[in-house]
Amino acid sequence: MRILIAEDEDDMRDVLEAYLTISGYEAVTAKNGAEALDKVREGGFDAAVMDIMMPVMDGVEALKRMRDEGNTVPVLLLTAKAEVRDRVAGLDAGADDYLTKPFAMEELLARLRSLIRRGTPGAPDTVRLGDMVLDTRQGILKCVNSIALVSRETELLALLMRSTDRDLKESEILSRVWKDFEGADGEALKLYVRYINGKLLSVGACFRVEHRPGGMRLCREAEK
Amino acid sequence: MDHGIYGPYADKLKDVLDIVIGAVKSCGDSAAGPHGEKRYEHIEGRVKTEESMLGKLSRRCLEATAENALTAVYDAVGVRVVCRFIDDVYLMADLISRREGIRAVERKDYILRAKENGYRSYHMIVEADTPFPGPVGGKAFYAEVQLRTIAMDTWAALEHEITYKRDISRRDLIWEELKRCADELAACDVSMQAIRDMIRESGERTDG
Repeated sequence: MRILIAEDEDDMRDVLEAYLTISGYEAVTAKNGAEALDKVREGGFDAAVMDIMMPVMDGVEALKRMRDEGNTVPVLLLTAKAEVRDRVAGLDAGADDYLTKPFAMEELLARLRSLIRRGTPGAPDTVRLGDMVLDTRQGILKCVNSIALVSRETELLALLMRSTDRDLKESEILSRVWKDFEGADGEALKLYVRYINGKLLSVGACFRVEHRPGGMRLCREAEK
Repeated sequence: MDHGIYGPYADKLKDVLDIVIGAVKSCGDSAAGPHGEKRYEHIEGRVKTEESMLGKLSRRCLEATAENALTAVYDAVGVRVVCRFIDDVYLMADLISRREGIRAVERKDYILRAKENGYRSYHMIVEADTPFPGPVGGKAFYAEVQLRTIAMDTWAALEHEITYKRDISRRDLIWEELKRCADELAACDVSMQAIRDMIRESGERTDG
C-alpha cells in the first residue's frame, strides 16, 4: 500500500513517514501542496495524508485541483485549527476524512485503514505516460491508434505505467493484479506481458515491458 | 473495349491480375509453417470496373486517359491477401516485395497507423513484370496488394457496407460502435498472436 504524506513541518513529516513505514506502508513524502499534487498526478497511491496549512500551495487548494482533475485517491486532511469552517472547507473540497492536531498515531492508522477499506478507486480514470493514454474505465489504450484491453490487462498496464521509476517484482504484480485469483503464477503473468507488449506495438507506443534482474518495468524502447 | 478507359491494355489486365495472384500464392505456399500451416487464408483479386476507375480519376481531377488510369492511379489491378495472424501479414508482405519480378514501390501500414475510423490493413503498391508491353514503360504494370487478418477483413466488409449504403439511420452510432469493434478485434489479433508465440516457444523447448 502506497501512502502520500504531504506535510511542511519536517519533524511531523519524519514521524509520519517512520510510523507508516513501520506499519507496513510504503510512504512517499511531499513538503507542500504543489509537490503533493505533482506526486499524486503520477498515480499509484492508495491514500494520502495532507496537512491543510502548507506553504506554496495549501492542502485544500491541492485537494481541490486533484479532484478537478478527476483524481479520486482517498484523502485524510490534517488540521491544526479546530475551526469548523476549515473542516467544512476541506470536506467540501473533496476530503474523505480529517484529523485535528494533535492526534494519536493509532487513530491516524485506523482512519487510513477505514479509508482504504472503502475501496475508493485510488486513481483517476486516465493514466498518461509519454504520448500514451490509458482509459482505465473503458479499457482503451490510445497512442497513434487505439486498442481495447480486458480488465486484467488494464490493471497490469496501469500499475506498470505508474511505476516506471522502479522494477516490479513478480510477487508484487501477482498480489496486486491477480488478487482475486489464487492460482495465478509467473506463466500467466508472462502471457499477459506478451499481450501488453503486443498492444503497445499495435498502438504505436514507444514503450515496452522489459524483464530486468529486479523485476519488470515499462521502458522506452531502445532506439533501433 | 478499345474505347474504354483502359484503352489498349483493357484485355491484358485480367492476365496481369492472374500473374500477380499467382506470384502471391506461390510466395505463401513456399513459406508454409513448420507443420504445413498456410500463411494465408485466401487470396482474391479484381480489375477495377471502368465506372469506378472513371469516378476515381474525376475525383482526383485527372484526365480520363488510359495512361492516367494505369500510372497515376495504382489500383486498376487489386489483390487482397487475408491471413490468420498479424505476423503472417508481415511475412507475406516481405516475401512478396522480395519476389523476383515484383518490386514494392510504396507501402502504407494501416495496421501500425490505423485510419481514424479504425480501418486496419497493410497496403503495398507493386510493379509487376508481365509478358505484355505495359503503360509504365517496359513490360511492367502497377497493382495494389492489400494484406490483412481475417478479423480486419470482416471489419472492412462492414465498413464497406456502411460507406456505400445511403439511407442508414443512426450512422453516428454505427460508426462509433464500428470504431469500438475495430479496437476489440485488434486486441483479439494481438492476443491470438501472443498465444501462438507462446505455444511455439514452449513447443521448441519440449522438442529441444
